[in-house]
Amino acid sequence: MVALAVVLSTVVLLLGILVAGLLRSHADILKSLHELGVGVGEPSGTEDLAHDHRHGTANGPDGVGLHQVPIALGPPLPGERNSTSAPAVAGVTPTGDALGVSMEGEHLTLLAFLSSGCATCAGFWDALQRHDQLGLPAHTRLVVVTKGPDLEIPAEVATQAPVGLPVVMSTEAWGDYEIPGSPFFVLVDGRSGRRIGEGVANQVHQVVELVRRAEADGRPFDLVTQSRAHAEGLDGPERELANDRELLAAGILPGDPSLYPRSLADLYGPDGAPLGRAG
Amino acid sequence: MALLRAHGIEAPLPGGFEGRIFVRSVIGNEVTYPVAHFATFALPADVGDFGSGAVNLMGPNDIFASLFEYGPESIGTALFSRQGMPRSLTTDDFRPYVLRRGLGGQSGTQWFFTDSGRPFTLYVVLGSHTRRSALVPRVNDLVGSIGISAPTVPLTARSVPTGPTMAPGARWN
Repeated sequence: MVALAVVLSTVVLLLGILVAGLLRSHADILKSLHELGVGVGEPSGTEDLAHDHRHGTANGPDGVGLHQVPIALGPPLPGERNSTSAPAVAGVTPTGDALGVSMEGEHLTLLAFLSSGCATCAGFWDALQRHDQLGLPAHTRLVVVTKGPDLEIPAEVATQAPVGLPVVMSTEAWGDYEIPGSPFFVLVDGRSGRRIGEGVANQVHQVVELVRRAEADGRPFDLVTQSRAHAEGLDGPERELANDRELLAAGILPGDPSLYPRSLADLYGPDGAPLGRAG
Repeated sequence: MALLRAHGIEAPLPGGFEGRIFVRSVIGNEVTYPVAHFATFALPADVGDFGSGAVNLMGPNDIFASLFEYGPESIGTALFSRQGMPRSLTTDDFRPYVLRRGLGGQSGTQWFFTDSGRPFTLYVVLGSHTRRSALVPRVNDLVGSIGISAPTVPLTARSVPTGPTMAPGARWN
């Protein structure tokens, strides 16, 4: 009887340890998911693939993250990342030369962080062979960044390196930009020297859209923002009536498709140039 | 500060500079030696040894510098008798007519020297001669920090041409 009680107690103890271990493991998983920004029950984890981070953080006084990149791509990134700094990228090329790329200048720099072995990257390596056909806006400089020779085999990178594009092998750059994995893309505005877009993409067109969105956001707003009615000091119904008259005079009737743009192309045209000037 | 290191040349890049240190692919029997390019603007993929294809892209506030190594036959010649790379240039060192490719408003300077037993020329172009007082200190930030290592293999034993003549570089200018 005593032996049975001892055995049962031992079994209960072991089961207790097992349950505690499972709970601890579960907690660790939840914690890791939370740190990655995809915690269970967090509404931000179910948003559309391409979303705007400007309205979802609580780091700044107005809800704008102090270190959040303006335009993000793909799943949410950990909030504690510094997503604005844009240091120069320096390393070696697959052929053993040294290469350093500055982010400063009057252009956008799109950094494509790729690996030679990742399956998703293969599509990007292939697409970048025809980088002049990607449809990236003018003044966009494309730079491929792989990990350094300590973690990548230069010969394998060399076989995939697009002709005419700078390829920098730099593990340090992956650390500087806190790259969570590949493929990952970072867009830097050379005038401000800051990141203006970043994220994970599965398709090239997502990356191109990221650049176009960023370019559109950063474009000098050259449309006249004050209508004639506003300039004349009209307000309320009078201003609305005056605006309606101007729209009618321009041939824009209620329900006109131009009043309901669905994409940036509706506003800026396929080549990125503004379609019209109001006022 | 980003650091470039290859082919026995080490260059911490001052803010706003980018660069590359490379050895051109060999064509025929030619012998190629390391070249380092530095610029305050986006360097195109294919730039001539002394900046062709790049200097025409410079704005008035831009700088281009080329550090070009010569072959062992140059060691001990009068042209390369200066020992050590110039580390502190002055505005008087820059002249509009010291340009491989004379572009209006620009000025340049060129120095031949031997450093760590290796013969080099340093060629620097300023985007605007009239702004040299502001640009030269930035040049000195760059050249003052470049390190050159002695060749690990005796220079005379490196890349000896197999043919009777040495072909000129693919893009000399």
